[in-house]
Amino acid sequence: MIKKARDLTKKWLEGKEVDAIFGLKQEDGYIAPHLFIDASELDNLMLSTQHRLCYTCRPSRENILSLMQRREPNMKIGVVVRGCDERALIELAKRGQVDLGKIKIMGIACNQEEAKECRCEKPYPSNLVLGERVEGVSEDENVDALLDKSLPERLAFWRHELSKCIKCYGCRNVCPMCFCKDCKMEQEVFTEKGWLPPEIPMFHFIRFYHISESCIGCGECEKACPVDIPLLTIFKLLRRDVKALFDYEAGLDVEQKSPLLTTLDEMPMREDVTSGV
Amino acid sequence: MREFEPKILAFCCNWCSYAGADLAGVSRFQYPPNIRIIRVMCSGRVEPEFLVKALSLGVDGVLVCGCHIGDCHYIYGNHRTAKRMAILKRILGYLGIDPSRMKLEWVSASEGARFAEVVTKFTEEMRKLGPNPLKEVKA
Repeated sequence: MIKKARDLTKKWLEGKEVDAIFGLKQEDGYIAPHLFIDASELDNLMLSTQHRLCYTCRPSRENILSLMQRREPNMKIGVVVRGCDERALIELAKRGQVDLGKIKIMGIACNQEEAKECRCEKPYPSNLVLGERVEGVSEDENVDALLDKSLPERLAFWRHELSKCIKCYGCRNVCPMCFCKDCKMEQEVFTEKGWLPPEIPMFHFIRFYHISESCIGCGECEKACPVDIPLLTIFKLLRRDVKALFDYEAGLDVEQKSPLLTTLDEMPMREDVTSGV
Repeated sequence: MREFEPKILAFCCNWCSYAGADLAGVSRFQYPPNIRIIRVMCSGRVEPEFLVKALSLGVDGVLVCGCHIGDCHYIYGNHRTAKRMAILKRILGYLGIDPSRMKLEWVSASEGARFAEVVTKFTEEMRKLGPNPLKEVKA
């Protein structure tokens, strides 16, 4: 797979289809996003499910790709993406963070093991260029376990999980959708500074709510969490809810505006959907 | 031991619901004194974070009142409130807080009697539901 990806990106670059390739680069054993301008560099192109491509740079709080596009507005960039990366790109484009017109997407499918590892519901991009499409993981034991609990049990569960939080902001920092310059999680009105654990559930609720309609289900927040808070559980449930309520799925169609930013006339809400509680 | 009396917070929009609450007052409609009203310019101003913050500060139930759909003085403010509340209730459910602690109601400026009725009913519901469990979570 990696050989094919390297060959194809080289072809794109040498054929002048794109001016640069944006992908993960391996160097001295480390993997990080890189803008490949020279075709010879592409031997170091890497694919990894453990490393984020479209992340938000801190502390400037700007998506790495939008930073590049601002610096080089005329550059056509080929981006090597997985399913989740592509969904992130689409959501970012909806919110004016990246210009998809200047991006050529090279979609790569994840294999069964990778999909299982990420508990990914859709491990393939819509612009599939390389690899075989495999079905996503539809069942999630964490989700089922949470739904089986009663309300007091759920509260006790989250009280335990969220009290482990060390307020590292890792979940927010790694999230491709968390690009606000002013983050509510840092506002003292909502969560007092200098206290651990942060206010339960206020601190985490801010992210649950803000990302509810734009979450692409990549699960990076959960992977980044040093104390293993099962954040993806809530986001998976919310993705289901948004789908049921608004018939909307984040990261599918760049033309479709997000439900919380539209009126009831533009995107109606189904009232008869049960809340799953 | 005294019977549990819920504390209820209400966000009322300036144009419809606050006027409705005012009408309830001048018309001498009776409603329980458990409610504290915060006037906002539009129900669309109410961020879901406000409601969760209110809960974690020890309020037992939060009522959000706005103009009926189509009557919003900012045209679409209440459309957004309706959508936000739907998502908010689900998140609360998953976190283990009874979603019925949050209520969204449309009350127009002429519905003083309805305002009193809404508040009475909600207070009764909260009294049955008992104290908000988040009170003890916040040490």
